[in-house]
Amino acid sequence: MKPKLILGIVAIVGFTSLLMYNFGESISTYTDFETAENMKTAHVPGTWDNTQDYGFSKESMQFTFFMKDEAGNTRKVIYPRPKPNNFEQADRLVVIGELRDDVFYADEMLMKCPSKYNATNPDEYTATSSTQSL
Amino acid sequence: MPGFIGKILISLSFFITTLSLMFYFVAAQKDSERHLKVGNWLFAIKGVLILVASGILLDLLITHQFQYYYVFNYTSLDLDLKYLISAFYGGQEGSFLLWILFSWLAGFSLMKWTRAPYKAPVMFFLALTQFFLLTMVLGWKLDGISIGASPFRTIAEEMPNAPFIQANPDFVPADGSGLNDLLKSPWMMIHPPILFLGFASMTIPYAFAMAALWKQKYNEWVAPALPWTLAANLALLIAIFLGAYWAYVTLSFGGYWAWDPVENASLVPWLIGTAGIHAMAIQRKSSVAQKSSLLFAILAYVAIVYETFLTRSGILSDSSVHSFVDLGLYNQLLLFMVIITGVGLGFFAWRYKELPSKPLEPSILNREFMTFSGALLLFILGVVIILGTSSPIIGLLFHENPTPPEISFYNDWSMPIAIVMALITVIGQFVYWKKQNSESLSSSLTLPLLVTSVLTVGSIMWMNVRDIYYMIYLFSGYFAIIGNGWMMVKLAIKNPKVIGGSLTHVGFGMLLVGILYSSAYNEPVLDQNTVNYNNAVLRGEVNDEQGFKVSQTVEMMELKLDEPKLVNGRYEITYEGYDLMNQNRPGQQTYTIKFNDLKTGREFYMYPEVYPMLSGSSAENIQWSVDPDVKAGLLKDIYLYVAGSSFIDQTNKQKAKEQEATTEAVADTEEPLEQTIRMRKGETIEVGGFEFTFTNFIMADSTSMPDNQGVGVRARVEVLHTASQRKHIIEPLFAVYVEDEVSYTKSYPVTIPDYDISFRFSNLNPDDSTVELTIVGLDEKFEDDWILIVGENKPFISVVWLGTFLLMGGFSISIFRHWGRERAKA
Repeated sequence: MKPKLILGIVAIVGFTSLLMYNFGESISTYTDFETAENMKTAHVPGTWDNTQDYGFSKESMQFTFFMKDEAGNTRKVIYPRPKPNNFEQADRLVVIGELRDDVFYADEMLMKCPSKYNATNPDEYTATSSTQSL
Repeated sequence: MPGFIGKILISLSFFITTLSLMFYFVAAQKDSERHLKVGNWLFAIKGVLILVASGILLDLLITHQFQYYYVFNYTSLDLDLKYLISAFYGGQEGSFLLWILFSWLAGFSLMKWTRAPYKAPVMFFLALTQFFLLTMVLGWKLDGISIGASPFRTIAEEMPNAPFIQANPDFVPADGSGLNDLLKSPWMMIHPPILFLGFASMTIPYAFAMAALWKQKYNEWVAPALPWTLAANLALLIAIFLGAYWAYVTLSFGGYWAWDPVENASLVPWLIGTAGIHAMAIQRKSSVAQKSSLLFAILAYVAIVYETFLTRSGILSDSSVHSFVDLGLYNQLLLFMVIITGVGLGFFAWRYKELPSKPLEPSILNREFMTFSGALLLFILGVVIILGTSSPIIGLLFHENPTPPEISFYNDWSMPIAIVMALITVIGQFVYWKKQNSESLSSSLTLPLLVTSVLTVGSIMWMNVRDIYYMIYLFSGYFAIIGNGWMMVKLAIKNPKVIGGSLTHVGFGMLLVGILYSSAYNEPVLDQNTVNYNNAVLRGEVNDEQGFKVSQTVEMMELKLDEPKLVNGRYEITYEGYDLMNQNRPGQQTYTIKFNDLKTGREFYMYPEVYPMLSGSSAENIQWSVDPDVKAGLLKDIYLYVAGSSFIDQTNKQKAKEQEATTEAVADTEEPLEQTIRMRKGETIEVGGFEFTFTNFIMADSTSMPDNQGVGVRARVEVLHTASQRKHIIEPLFAVYVEDEVSYTKSYPVTIPDYDISFRFSNLNPDDSTVELTIVGLDEKFEDDWILIVGENKPFISVVWLGTFLLMGGFSISIFRHWGRERAKA
């Protein structure tokens, strides 16, 4: 084989492995509060526990709520921004941050709202239909 | 009925497309002019049918035919005409239709201007993509397998099992559920159509490349394909820009770019398309790089189809802030992608052996090598971004449940690539127009390098850049601006038509410089107290009540009505109140914030808005959405939105109260309400049907003091009963007296018997000379008027936009040049 070709292959293999290695390092896995204890940045999906107090405090400038992860653990979550717009509507939350002493400090929060397509709530329609029949 | 016709039209056009595919195939295979003609006729008829179907859909939208699911789901009675029209592509089904329509229009121009032998195969591949796009909107149900989602399906078809449909199959909702408030924006009218124009025209280089492989004519195709690729890229660029600008000025994403999968979905095809443009340019000039021209032209469209698959199949639903609607098109999208990729790359591999290949010159200082390197880097950057965007799939190699990559993944890879690209653009431009060796090159680059160095050092000092990596990056950015600008001026003197490339590269350099300044050097709008607090947090000196270290900084601040605060050591900002407006968005508050620039002495106002999202709000809960305001400047932008306010707080509480009131109607008139209100001298507040004005302090003389031991001060307060316009003046006393060397304060209630309210002057704050009044007996509680603001100073965003405009300008000049040459040939 020509040395140029070998050089090219080495370059491609080297680049690809470096890229894939770095990519593998920069992604992590969705987890729960139990395992998040030992992680620097954890992505924890779950649902809002609406039985407990929640809200934004103007004094501490933090939004605090309780979240139940997919394994059923509930933890207090602190988010240093105002309550996101569609918080109550979200059927699923992903908090990204760090867990320290059973409090999750979320730097980022993603909300998955039921898409319009699936959110066809029959109650709403029955309400509109009853006004129709009047 | 019209829906039924619409469905028939789409099905019919699907059949005609299939038929035209056959004719185009024979025409391409046998070079038969007759078959081509029939194919073209079928193609034209198909387009007319789709046009009519689109017209019907538009009519259904405008006339509020809510029995149709698409109309119900994306519009409502109160929607303006312009948004009724943009609702056409508000959902997936309509946007597929729009994509097909644009593709059809592109087909007409191809029919007119493409020459043999490419004409028939180009039309075949264009029709092939339309075949797949049409399957997405068919809405057929065969043996329980559904193919496509028709925009014309009715609510009864959509939800046959819903109880209200069971009860009444002809049920028509009184109103639709409305367009998402975020989409009610003028940008919505223009951004998606241009994006789909870009998607549709990116099919053309793919079709040309496939035609070249089919007809085994590997050189001539680039000349006609080049202006098309440029045009497709220009459309994508404009769409990306509009999307970025929209995200920046009206959505509270906080910036113009977030490496969100949807953004990447339009960037990657653009990058690969640009790589293709570079390869085509040198192929046309020097008959090299035939393989890469073909490959990039194929891959640019593959990237579009792949990203369409990613964004529309629901795969990304966890990793993007955009919500995706999964229409159950997963398998169809997968098939579309597999066939486009398989046919494209398979054909390429099959013909690979006979593809012409000319060895590159041994020296690297020539335009072919430089241009090709640029193309390769663009392609590599595209691959990196695809990899990141594909994390839900490729990430499975590493983790079971992969998350998207950290933003740093994209930044870490794109920065060095961009640096090398920027350097190559200059060398490439200098060797593109004139043969150079290393000596002549270095002598002609001496002056540009000198200017670049001076500029870099100057801006490093001005912006206080500390990071050495940023310095190198800035140098390369400035080098691209100066070096290419240099070349552009030289070219413009001789022949202004050919400056497209160098102008584009100047724009690229500006983009690099602007991106760094606006993202790495932005500064939050905060008062000194918060800045100090944040610094303490960063030093690890702040602990919370439980004694744990606080790690999160505060990125917002509170403003009280008419209380100015100094931010960033430069602006005195004052919240001056809000207006409620109901015209555009019912319940919208427009907040007025005055900025007083202490440096220049100039004043300006910002008007961020907050409004209740109609589509997301319910009876028990209002979903608030923010609309930021941007004060754009040449050197920097100030970006600001209201994250909360006393009005929102009270409205929410009111809602909650109403909710409670309906569940348990208990009268709560046991005790009169007691509240304390802080007031400044001269301030007037309105509460509970009264206006209170604290006009002045009055020193109390000792004779009026009940106890001779102390000193006292009275607050003179004018009380106006707003209904009767009766005015009372009261002077409650605040006294300090000393007893056994301990000082006590005492305040005495003053009552206005007519209204059964009493006042106490309960405290005095000498620092800001405010008084605290305790009022008993009002039936409304006074709330401070406050807002929480989140703001950022973003330097040199203007340079980002300017760079983008120069890119657009460069592309346009090149389109004219290459198109003009093609027209001259025809």
